[in-house]
Amino acid sequence: MFPIFKPAGDSAIAIIFGDEIDENVNKKVHAVAEAIEEAAPEWLIEVVPTYTSVYIYYDPLKISYSEVLEAVKPFLSAEPREEEKRIIEIPVAYGGKFGPDIEFVAEYNGLTVEEVIEIHSKPLYRVYMLGFLPGFAYLGGMDEGIATPRLEKPRLKVPAGSVGIAGKQTGWYAIESPGGWRLIGRTPLKTFDPSKSPPSIVKAGDYVKFVPISEEEFWEIYKQEWGESNDRAC
Amino acid sequence: MIELVNVPSLMTIQDLGRTGYQKFGVPVSGVMDEVSARLANYLVGNEDNTPLLEFVLRGPTIRFHSSAVFAIGGDIDAKLNGIPINPWESYWAKRGDVLEVGTLKSGMYGYIAFAGGIKCEPILGSYSTYIRANFGRALKSGDTLSLGYAILTEKEGKKLPKEFVPKYSNESEVMVILGPQEEHFTEEGIKTFLRSTYEVTAESDRMGYRLEGPAIEHSEKGADIITDAIPLGSIQVPKSGKPIIMLADRQTTGGYAKIGVVARVDIPKVAQTRPGGKLKFRAASVEEAQEALRRRETTMEVIKMFLLGELRAYKLKVFEEELIAFTKVEKKR
Repeated sequence: MFPIFKPAGDSAIAIIFGDEIDENVNKKVHAVAEAIEEAAPEWLIEVVPTYTSVYIYYDPLKISYSEVLEAVKPFLSAEPREEEKRIIEIPVAYGGKFGPDIEFVAEYNGLTVEEVIEIHSKPLYRVYMLGFLPGFAYLGGMDEGIATPRLEKPRLKVPAGSVGIAGKQTGWYAIESPGGWRLIGRTPLKTFDPSKSPPSIVKAGDYVKFVPISEEEFWEIYKQEWGESNDRAC
Repeated sequence: MIELVNVPSLMTIQDLGRTGYQKFGVPVSGVMDEVSARLANYLVGNEDNTPLLEFVLRGPTIRFHSSAVFAIGGDIDAKLNGIPINPWESYWAKRGDVLEVGTLKSGMYGYIAFAGGIKCEPILGSYSTYIRANFGRALKSGDTLSLGYAILTEKEGKKLPKEFVPKYSNESEVMVILGPQEEHFTEEGIKTFLRSTYEVTAESDRMGYRLEGPAIEHSEKGADIITDAIPLGSIQVPKSGKPIIMLADRQTTGGYAKIGVVARVDIPKVAQTRPGGKLKFRAASVEEAQEALRRRETTMEVIKMFLLGELRAYKLKVFEEELIAFTKVEKKR
């Protein structure tokens, strides 16, 4: 049955490896995506791995759909490499002005604030994919004991670095944006920096560990990470 | 250098987009109508991907602080020092000259290209503005912009033959390739989608166009999917059954089922449709869409060579039909 190939318009092909969120399916997705990227055929524009699919964006002026179908087949045998797990530590100042919803999360789940922090910072979260907005990581592995529904009315402005919970999902806002997640803390790290290559602090396949820090530590790291704001026209 | 004396609408710097970073969640962005933008660039001797100004409906007033050659792309009247000038034609502006660009008579997005392009710092390899991530920002009155270096001689007075001037309609038929989540829709739902006329709503921007029209029925699989990639022109159908066409500033991934993807050749048509304008969708094969794109690109290449002076154009009348023919210009060495 899998993989399934489907055109996604005239300039992309989707290769689908499964129909549910599964670590092994996702590992295969990233193995195939990396193999195609490394081979860098001249018709390739870019590769976007997701939970269960690999989207290959190609130049239809250089190759036809049926040729792409043939060209990608040799890459399907790519297997996840046995590499050392890359663990990225994300320091987080929990509660207070950094996490205005942490008390709600605690109350909703019948816990204390300290317990929420402990439960949230305990697991190793796997990065399944990046998407939606620059640097936004889809993490797997949150303890359902702290799952909390989204805000009924999203905030208009959530500061970059804010760490939140939405249903059974957790993660951080890499850039300032509107958002409906329950905010429980904030990392002082610049998790997305377009002047760096790669621009994102995490990549798909990494593991994330949240490390609680104090407010003083937050500001210390914050000053190192964030320079002056910039308002140039271009 | 140019000074933006008055910026009456959303105006940004764009090129053909930021590719290679979608896997980090970075949207592609870029111009909404690549045909109009590329033609404007060709008129001033630029390459396809040169950064230029994109405005919505109403154009800016610009004061030139140095000599420049510019061209306006769009169905619009403009004045240089109070004297009417044409779109799709390149003009020389001197220091102190003032360009007033009016309101688009048809279409949604207009372009102003400058020989040498707009000079700024690229972000992740592109000059495209993506406001939500502070990759550039909306331009405002009082801003000044530097222009890239270009030899200006022989770049003015270029004119796009009227046969190739883009026409913007508020009622279009659009080619779509169905899928990749067609199983999330009932047969009836897909019929509704292909047989109905949809209206572009006012809730439309560079990110996507929301359409109003008969609701599209989902199958028992429902409107939500496991978060998946969103190619340009993807037509997402959320639970409401009302389609959304995802455009330049679309997010890289999303969780609504996609009923189809607009053929790349028809993206400019969609982008130039104003709120209230109507779209009808026609299912096409990938092969048909790619063939149409190849034909368009052949035309674009010919126009580019003509405007660069490498081809000469002749008008022919064959059985009452006017044709345009091109021959190669032998370059003097």
